[in-house]
Amino acid sequence: MLKKFNKEWASSHASDLLSYGGLVLCIIVFAILSGGNLFSPYNLRILIQAVCVYAVLSLGAMFVYSMGYMDISVSAQVGVYSILCILIANSTGSILLAFLVILALALVCGFINGYVAVMLGLPSIVTSIFLMSIFGGVQALIMEKLALNSVSINVDISFFKNTGFMVAMIIVVAIIAIYLYKYTPLGEITKSIGANERATEYSGISTTKWKVLAYAFFGVTVALGAFLLTARTGAAGKGTGMGYAMDIMVALLLGGMPLSGGMKSKISSALIGSFTYVILSNGLILSGVDTKMVYIIKAIVFIAVILITCRKKDGVLPR
Amino acid sequence: MGEVLLEVKGMCKNYGIITALKNVDLKICRGEVHGLVGENGSGKSTITSIAAGMQPKTSGEMFFKGQPWNPSSMIEAQHNGISMILQEANTIGGCTVAENIFAGKEDEYSRFGIVDKKRMNRDADVVLDKFGIKHMRGKDPIDKFGFEDRKLVEIARAVTDETEILVVDETTTALSLEGREILYKIVDDLVAKDKAVIFISHDMDEILEKCTILTVLRDGEIRGCITSQEIKDANAVGTIRQLMVGRDIGDKMYRSDFDPSCDKEVVLEFKNVSGPNVIDFSLELHKGEIVGLGGLSGCGMHEVGRMAFGMEEVDKGHVKAHGLEVLSAKDAVAKKIGYISKNRDTEAVILQGPIEDNIVLPSLGDLTTASFLSPKKKKNMSDEQIKLLEIKCQNGKQWVSTLSGGNKQKVSFAKWIAKGSEIIIMDCPTRGVDIGVKQAMYELIMQMKKDGKAILMISEEMAEIIGMADRLIVMKDSKIAKEFTRNKDLSETDVIEYMI
Repeated sequence: MLKKFNKEWASSHASDLLSYGGLVLCIIVFAILSGGNLFSPYNLRILIQAVCVYAVLSLGAMFVYSMGYMDISVSAQVGVYSILCILIANSTGSILLAFLVILALALVCGFINGYVAVMLGLPSIVTSIFLMSIFGGVQALIMEKLALNSVSINVDISFFKNTGFMVAMIIVVAIIAIYLYKYTPLGEITKSIGANERATEYSGISTTKWKVLAYAFFGVTVALGAFLLTARTGAAGKGTGMGYAMDIMVALLLGGMPLSGGMKSKISSALIGSFTYVILSNGLILSGVDTKMVYIIKAIVFIAVILITCRKKDGVLPR
Repeated sequence: MGEVLLEVKGMCKNYGIITALKNVDLKICRGEVHGLVGENGSGKSTITSIAAGMQPKTSGEMFFKGQPWNPSSMIEAQHNGISMILQEANTIGGCTVAENIFAGKEDEYSRFGIVDKKRMNRDADVVLDKFGIKHMRGKDPIDKFGFEDRKLVEIARAVTDETEILVVDETTTALSLEGREILYKIVDDLVAKDKAVIFISHDMDEILEKCTILTVLRDGEIRGCITSQEIKDANAVGTIRQLMVGRDIGDKMYRSDFDPSCDKEVVLEFKNVSGPNVIDFSLELHKGEIVGLGGLSGCGMHEVGRMAFGMEEVDKGHVKAHGLEVLSAKDAVAKKIGYISKNRDTEAVILQGPIEDNIVLPSLGDLTTASFLSPKKKKNMSDEQIKLLEIKCQNGKQWVSTLSGGNKQKVSFAKWIAKGSEIIIMDCPTRGVDIGVKQAMYELIMQMKKDGKAILMISEEMAEIIGMADRLIVMKDSKIAKEFTRNKDLSETDVIEYMI
């Protein structure tokens, strides 16, 4: 009986075991491969700075992925916000103003993905493709006009670069996201939309309103993520932000998030996933793997995780 | 008795810790229509779906025509002679009727990798003609047709020349009257050719009329067998029910009183409403009143229900709850209207989610104070409903997809009872639900009436609305055809006259 119970428990917590196990495995393997360098104070700082951006972005993305939607415009958005942030800060000297401008832009994008998509009867992925192209174009255009490969920030940002600040940001955003996800209707409703949008609507819930809210929160985290990235690097250019949309998706998957969203979505997957993903990337480089190989290895991990986690429909038939 | 076609010996099936079948023995012989009856969750579909290759058994043996039988897929089973028409919709959207009929058989129609569509359409027409389905053609897109017609396509796909055993799983509830005739004819033809049919249904009259032998199941075990002589017995229904439920539930299915009185207060009002498939519909629904809305499935009654919930556009006229216009589903819920969709699995419940989240979904706003949604209040609300409606489950965390049909339906009732809705619109509330649960549902509906709730009960089952409603409205061709008040002498034939 006990054995049976254990088996039950294991199968119902399979995705938890897998995601937490993956993180632990990653840490152990790379701690050994890198000869302990993974935990050197210098590398820890790099790790936290990298995790910070991923964690903030994926905590917001969670809400969108829970609905079974995705937003692939994040990369281009982050790039443009980062450049804008530097340009505005440089010309006005105010970092706050720079941040508010990109926040406003991010909210507009969230509104487009959430509301305009519904009004036009389009899937949100379509509007996000539209936004990706626009922002990609804008990013290239700005850099061409500036005739520079990259712009650097002239204002003092040492405070935001501080590892303590970064850790604090992860904690603050995580607390807000966890509260929203677990203790307000937002989390419940985004999961319901992912599981069955029609039934949610038939329960008298205005799905559009909650979609907009979910995308709005994501917008806030995108703006924040772009800001943190800017603070970390102090410069931005043509390639800034590249790959972030897909990286977030992989991170969430590694954290045990089902790609189709729904009731199995867990907020913990954003945090666990970000750590796993960053340690994986960082550990591979530390262990002396060629940067080009890193992409290939990541791709293999990505497909392996999907194969393991995406199970077929539950085996219970209507009787 | 004919030669044994399919024999099942000591079959068991477990889903995790849940046992669906315990040591089942069953023999299907040539020339018989073998009825499987039992409550939801008793294992009827489990046996047949294993025999038809949908899922593997846990243990036991099967023999088909004397040979060991272990089909690995439905296609393999169908190819060898066991076909199954499924309970739920199983056509592929976005394709033509022909493509649906010949799904999985494209190879026979392709040359150098190109499918010969013309030949396929032609053959599909032949198949459709054979079954007497005249209004559908092979080249028609499947999406043009409603649920009932799509079911016919499934039948046309399942029944081939190779078919030795046809499994009809709860199909008739999903069919229109003409559709049923077509299916009955197919059944008769198969029997005449000395093939066999396994018939699963909740409709007792249909079972008694069509089946030559019955096997009764309860909790995954065989509880009894009723031979063709016993079926003809006047007492057969009583015997079957007793075997199914384990206790005698008697004849009392519907309410026993014939008192149509109710409160004077009008809670829901339709004033000359016109819209898609509804013309000039007027109705006043009073507090504590059950209004039954009946008709054939295309008559517009389902649209009326959707309009009351703000989910269908109203072109002309007004739909008012407590004197105020209903604007949207959200607004309808705020005005204390609840809606139970007839498409339970796609619109009424979230299958891939816990019972608790389903029950609290309409009430999330009520459970939230200053943006804080209390997990404790959520749990209390759901536990209360699980207890009240006796939903069979381990706890509120169990997924709805693992529940039986009747319990799923209870979850969709629970949503609105928990919300405290005063006007409940139920569209086919007992579709695909067995007698035991049906009776419980009717009791529940009566309790709601006594609590002063107004109920609009839309149903294709005349017996049910005659049995339950204070007032009965019959619709035909988008209009009201006739209104009856509750009385003892009202019979199904009186009502059906106005439907067709």
